[in-house]
Amino acid sequence: MGQVVSAVLLALGAFFSLVAAIGVLRFPDLFLRMHCSAKSATLGVSCIMLGAAVHFGDLISYTKAVAAIVFLLISAPVATHVLARAAFYAGVPLWKGTLGDELSGHYDKGGPEFGAPGAADGAEGAREPGTGSRPPA
Amino acid sequence: MEAKGIPTVFTEILSGILVVAVVLAFIRLARGPSLPDRAVALDLVATIVIGLIGVYAVMTSEARFLDLAVVLALIAFLGTVAFARFIAKGGLPWDRS
Amino acid sequence: MTLFLANIGLGLLWAVLTGLFSPPNLAIGFVLGYLMLWMVRGVLGPSRYYNTVPRLFEFAGYFLWELILANGRLAVDVLTPAHRMRPRVIALPLVVREEGEITLLANLISLTPGSLTLDVSEDHRFLYIHAMYASDPEAVRRSIQDGLERRILELMHGSERNPDRVH
Repeated sequence: MGQVVSAVLLALGAFFSLVAAIGVLRFPDLFLRMHCSAKSATLGVSCIMLGAAVHFGDLISYTKAVAAIVFLLISAPVATHVLARAAFYAGVPLWKGTLGDELSGHYDKGGPEFGAPGAADGAEGAREPGTGSRPPA
Repeated sequence: MEAKGIPTVFTEILSGILVVAVVLAFIRLARGPSLPDRAVALDLVATIVIGLIGVYAVMTSEARFLDLAVVLALIAFLGTVAFARFIAKGGLPWDRS
Repeated sequence: MTLFLANIGLGLLWAVLTGLFSPPNLAIGFVLGYLMLWMVRGVLGPSRYYNTVPRLFEFAGYFLWELILANGRLAVDVLTPAHRMRPRVIALPLVVREEGEITLLANLISLTPGSLTLDVSEDHRFLYIHAMYASDPEAVRRSIQDGLERRILELMHGSERNPDRVH
């Protein structure tokens, strides 16, 4: 019984890791790729660690696996956020299918002086909706 | 070498899947148009390798490998943050657009 | 806090009595200990601990469910040829105020698929997120505010508003 649970968790983990890798390879811009690497990979590896813990079944293995999972769950969003923020301000281009950008307009002003977030929508959302092709860059 | 309950063939297939995932991430690493893309790919490689260690621990029935996974979970994070810091400080000239 | 320690003690006692120190058995002991403390709450007097534990479990369950559900959707999107995502960078007005709560919300938003935290505005009033399925930005804002943010508020303030000194 425990071994079946373990096998299912390991298989799920490997599947989600593969999904993350495929996503990182084929999504059109950096931020969409980050969605994959931050979430699917974290979930996948968490599943694998949990599966390994269930397989061994002793307290030490559970503690190690839970420690690894907690580190991953803390570090993955922080690392993603830091990298995404740096990349955004470094000017990494958004996919041309991106519908709107409410952040870049407010960064140069350096201040938070703006009204309702919906107001920025019309001004900034003028990028053409894409059809699903890759950006030329 | 045999894993109690879980056939070795199963874990070998899983390792194969994970290795394919690492290779795909490496393609992105080689191709990635900008430095942050490469940093994401490297981060993904490190994360998948943690999973690979977990599968290997099951394959060899050696619980001590889980320590490695814990250590790698901490180290991988540092590398990504260092990259982000580098990019935020300006990065290389050709990555500024 | 005392109740939490008592609960852990009861869990350990269960493990000792059954002679099995495996993690699932410890978890069973913890749940049984909580039920026991809950049954004698009339003697021990009211405490916020009784509310915090179920809320914590509800939060964890909700979060895990969201994580799995949305990862499944992401997997479908990755594995089918067409790009169906409608990404958009959204400003999300924050209801939570404290730094710790904003950090928690930002990290949880990054972990739930479909949204990624990019930045916090200087005055901590807006969170900028990159949402993946945002053909309707209002719907994304509403789902985060009604889902994660409301639960974080409940978890943090629901327990702070009725502290131990309630009679």
